[in-house]
Amino acid sequence: MAQSARGALISRRSWLLACLVAPLSRLRAATSLEVTFDGDNLHVAAPQLHFLAGKPLERLRGGGSAVFLSQITLLSDERGTIFRRVSDSFGVSYDLWEETFSVTELSGNNPRSASRLTAASAEAWCLENMAISASGLPADRPFWLRFDLRTADPKDVAPQGNEPGISITRLIEILSRKPAPDNPHWTLQAGPLRLSDLARESGRGTRNG
Amino acid sequence: MRYAWLGCVLFSSLLCAGPLESDFNVNTRYRVESVIVSGDGWKTNVSTDHNGKISTGLRRDLMALIGENLNPDALDGLAERLKKELNAREVSHHVSRGANPNYLRVEFDVKPNTFSLHANVTKFTYDSKSGWSGGGEAGFGVRQNDFTLGVVSNSDDLPERFAGVTARYENRHLGTSRLGLRFQVESYHEQWNGSTLNELAKGSEVTSDAYRSRQNFEPVATIVLARPLTLEVGTSFERFEDQYPAAHTEASNAFIASLRYHRHLEGSENQQDVEAGYYLRAAARLLASDFVFASHSWTFRYQLTHGKHVLTDDVSAGVITGRAPLSDRFVLGNSSSLRGWNKYDLDPLGGNRMVYNSVEYRYGILKVFYDSGAIWDSGQSVIPRHSVGVGLRESVFTIAVAFPIREGRADPIFMMGMIY
Repeated sequence: MAQSARGALISRRSWLLACLVAPLSRLRAATSLEVTFDGDNLHVAAPQLHFLAGKPLERLRGGGSAVFLSQITLLSDERGTIFRRVSDSFGVSYDLWEETFSVTELSGNNPRSASRLTAASAEAWCLENMAISASGLPADRPFWLRFDLRTADPKDVAPQGNEPGISITRLIEILSRKPAPDNPHWTLQAGPLRLSDLARESGRGTRNG
Repeated sequence: MRYAWLGCVLFSSLLCAGPLESDFNVNTRYRVESVIVSGDGWKTNVSTDHNGKISTGLRRDLMALIGENLNPDALDGLAERLKKELNAREVSHHVSRGANPNYLRVEFDVKPNTFSLHANVTKFTYDSKSGWSGGGEAGFGVRQNDFTLGVVSNSDDLPERFAGVTARYENRHLGTSRLGLRFQVESYHEQWNGSTLNELAKGSEVTSDAYRSRQNFEPVATIVLARPLTLEVGTSFERFEDQYPAAHTEASNAFIASLRYHRHLEGSENQQDVEAGYYLRAAARLLASDFVFASHSWTFRYQLTHGKHVLTDDVSAGVITGRAPLSDRFVLGNSSSLRGWNKYDLDPLGGNRMVYNSVEYRYGILKVFYDSGAIWDSGQSVIPRHSVGVGLRESVFTIAVAFPIREGRADPIFMMGMIY
């Protein structure tokens, strides 16, 4: 009887662990973060990360647009001490007649854009245009890099009334919202890394992140 | 983590100063070909249909999208207005390819509230001859089903003042949006004007005696034949409780039918509304009715709007054959017909023949009107009457003074209230 109860307990634990681990392992297996260094900046790539899918893609195919907020964080240790952080945002739309994607960087003084892209090339374009400066980071010091990506409603980042940008009140409102279960959010992490170990690529433009 | 995202969004927003969706949506280079609004079992093309669900102002703003480049930011605002106006749970929009290359079709999808509350003022008028009339109703809706309770005290529309309660159940979507069903129960107590009672005391054979209460049960089916043409068919089981010469009841059970047509036409500068209707009420022994009669009436209304100028012409006519109860007889000389005349002076029992025309011109809130008409019983001579009036009108609220045109002293009638 006691054995049966113990057996049931183990079984419950197993199920719990399986439920917790399954999505994580799926995420890890599905997406790996590649980090390259051009001498000044660190760049990320995640060929297996397909964020133009699901609800954002549905909105795009309905003639709407999708805004993605991205963030790269350099962590100086495993505990999550932040060394440097940079964020960016991209607006994506889908040409209903040409059936191609168009991406516009929404931040920066000279925002870049690209059009007539496939879904994969639009995703790659967004990540290629993200970079974080590695200045001040010793070549042989281990660090961790975390990449976050989440969707935002275009209305949320649109100006309210005569305000030039998004108001603090609005921001608090957006961030206070409980994320919908179907609202995609991706977090990828790589590390420990050393600049000296990273493959060097030719410069892709400077970043002062 | 929350503060990290806060920093991220704040940074983005400061740099980009809040982009509009129109700034980066590539579809803004295409023009809008058509705008469709669809709900639970209904769909309307705003440029060709006019189903009355959407107000003229909002319809005009939806139509303004057509022919212009797609403006995604405007779609959000219009969806929000549709949500408020239609009391919907949610209104979403999506864009698809149009029938012509490089044109787009915009569709708003209205998701109705499963539960809603409603309250309306159905009648609120005062005139210096008949006094106050008022009515209100409130209820709730569950999906396509409406339940409504109302109270009324009305001395304006019939030869009597009737006061009482109404209850109504209505299903507006009986399998299809073209078919609806309504059950209405009414229970009223009556008060009579002295001139009506005097006329009845002479022993009128054309109508009923004065009754102290009446109850009505009316099941009606509504069928949308073609979008602007609606047919209603049903029955009315009405019971009158008479007081004289002895307490007894009489029944007036009738087949009822109405055919209504409403067309709204919008040009670049003018809007025109055309409404026409035919109403039939036929009481027969077949339905165990004590009264046997057939009442036919016709209405026609034309309204032309050009900026602040509004010109309206209302025509109505009616014929009753047989002996109809007082509540079914025609009345002229109230707040909505032959204004300026007192209905009890014209015919204290109402009439079984009626013809009426009203021309009203409004400029902004100012209005002037000219009414003419006649009410009589078959076999009597027809005496046409005329009246003129001036007033103010804002939305349904109106205040006016009307003068009957006749020899002798001018005896104006002052009226105010809500005229629908």
